[in-house]
Amino acid sequence: MKNRLLSLPILLVVAYSFSISPKIFTAREKTGALKITFINTVKGNPLLLNTVTYSNPFTEEYTVSRFKYYISNIALAFSDGVFKEIDSYHLIDESNTSSLSFSFLTNVNTYHSLLFMLGVDSIKNVSGAQTGPLDPLNDMFWTWNSGYVMAKMEGNSPQSKVVNKKVEFHIGGFSGPNNVLKKLMLNFPAGMVLDIKEGRTSEIVIEADLDKWWQGPNDLKITDNPVCTTPGELAKKMADNYSKMFTIKKVINN
Amino acid sequence: MKFRITIFLLAGFVLYALLIGAGDKTTTSSLPDYLEFKIPQGWPKPPTDIFAKNRLTEQGFQLGKKLFYDGRLSKDGNFPCASCHQQFAAFASYDHDFSHGFNNTFTTRNAPPLFNLAWMTKLHWDGGVNHIEVQPLSPITAKNEMAETLDSVLYKLKKDTAYPKLFKAAFGTPEINSQRMLKALAQFTGSIVSSNSKYDKIQRGEAIFTPGEQNGYNFFKAKCAGCHKEPLFTDNSFRNNGLAVNPYLNDYGRMKITGNKNDSLKFRVPSLRNVMVTFPYMHDGRIYSLGSVIDHYRSGIITTQPTLDSLLAKRIAITDREKNDLIYFLNTLTDTTITRNPRFAQ
Repeated sequence: MKNRLLSLPILLVVAYSFSISPKIFTAREKTGALKITFINTVKGNPLLLNTVTYSNPFTEEYTVSRFKYYISNIALAFSDGVFKEIDSYHLIDESNTSSLSFSFLTNVNTYHSLLFMLGVDSIKNVSGAQTGPLDPLNDMFWTWNSGYVMAKMEGNSPQSKVVNKKVEFHIGGFSGPNNVLKKLMLNFPAGMVLDIKEGRTSEIVIEADLDKWWQGPNDLKITDNPVCTTPGELAKKMADNYSKMFTIKKVINN
Repeated sequence: MKFRITIFLLAGFVLYALLIGAGDKTTTSSLPDYLEFKIPQGWPKPPTDIFAKNRLTEQGFQLGKKLFYDGRLSKDGNFPCASCHQQFAAFASYDHDFSHGFNNTFTTRNAPPLFNLAWMTKLHWDGGVNHIEVQPLSPITAKNEMAETLDSVLYKLKKDTAYPKLFKAAFGTPEINSQRMLKALAQFTGSIVSSNSKYDKIQRGEAIFTPGEQNGYNFFKAKCAGCHKEPLFTDNSFRNNGLAVNPYLNDYGRMKITGNKNDSLKFRVPSLRNVMVTFPYMHDGRIYSLGSVIDHYRSGIITTQPTLDSLLAKRIAITDREKNDLIYFLNTLTDTTITRNPRFAQ
């Protein structure tokens, strides 16, 4: 009985909608899915935490123990617009394999480039306690100067002059002159487009080359800067460098 | 035709609403009791609504209160929020320049009182914390305060038999996570509003000043209100009031947050509400009496500091009589409806 009564107003709403504004019932947007996979490398070789000693462009040796960064506000550009992922926040953490790829529903279309923010947009830095990828439990939130660490690299190097020969980069700052947020647009490999077909999942594979942290546009030697854990000039230089670390290696249209 | 459909539609909605309403009665026990955050008469609206995305409920407030008084938020159980924020001291540390932290440590600044936080867009002496919800992360994890990790706090809360029920009452499901814990704490601390001192009663026409208090109030309005703006008794700005740098701490205040040398030695202008119970004073608690604070403003300010506040460039001329009257006035700012209110007590 109750069910029948409940369905009555729903039927009426449908009837009402048809009589006034049939547009509500036009075909719904067709969706497929996009899977994005990040492969962290050092000069093209898969990054291995702790076990491998790498050499930077200044022949300084180092190991990496932690490598994490935020990707947010993902969008896909097509001929006359962009598709945006809703609530788009992802923490890429080399030590957590399941964080290295993720999927989301995407409108059926042909896309020619990928846009995202490297870091967490300023709004989420000032909006109080968050959860999921933005949970302070992820150890990417500064408690003494509120805001997210946008990218983090930690390790060791014989060239480091600080305690235990640490290398520690916690790069953050979201406002005014200290802003390290980077809006990036990545093109697909020459001649490639991304096709999202209904009910299918296509994939983009992105390489992040950690070697880019040291150079271009700014030469940053471990000898000079083994540590950067506050917003400011050095953090901005590091962000200028690491914002160049991404390349789309593959587009797999399924 | 359209008209008739509309009538049917309205009738349908009314019927639907009644059914939903009837269904509600059997499930009200799981709905929290929503509370209204009242802005005292004549006060400005808070710059942002801290409860806009954290709807204030009785269950959320009670959970926040339990967390505030729970030692398990600290590493060894000895340092609940309330260990430094004592109700009888308007939630400051009574008679302590620095507060005690884990393993015989000291904090490096004087614990500020907790009231009227809903009007503060930035917290801490240096304004480094930008939202009431994320503030507890700082003392919980600081090695010289509660010295705990967020992981461990949540582990302890989840193991407890009472907390899952309290989280369910406040947030609908028993899930315990950092966001919910922080939102509940914000419901408690954000609800502490100090607006019932003798001064407030006078503003509402319910009491009158003594002649000494009135003289003090007149002096206050002429010489102090530039920074300690009514009715909050702070403009929530950051200023250098001419104190020497403590050589043990080398604390340059807001400059550490902004990286801007123009912010060197600037600290929050504290509210003067409840000032009688929040001694000692200043960011490092270096001054123990109100008389000595007033002496600082009339003769102690170091006027050579480049970032000294312009209102203090010539210090403040204060006679002994004015000093006494000012203290009489400051006494009228004590609000026992927060310092002795069982609602905020453990």
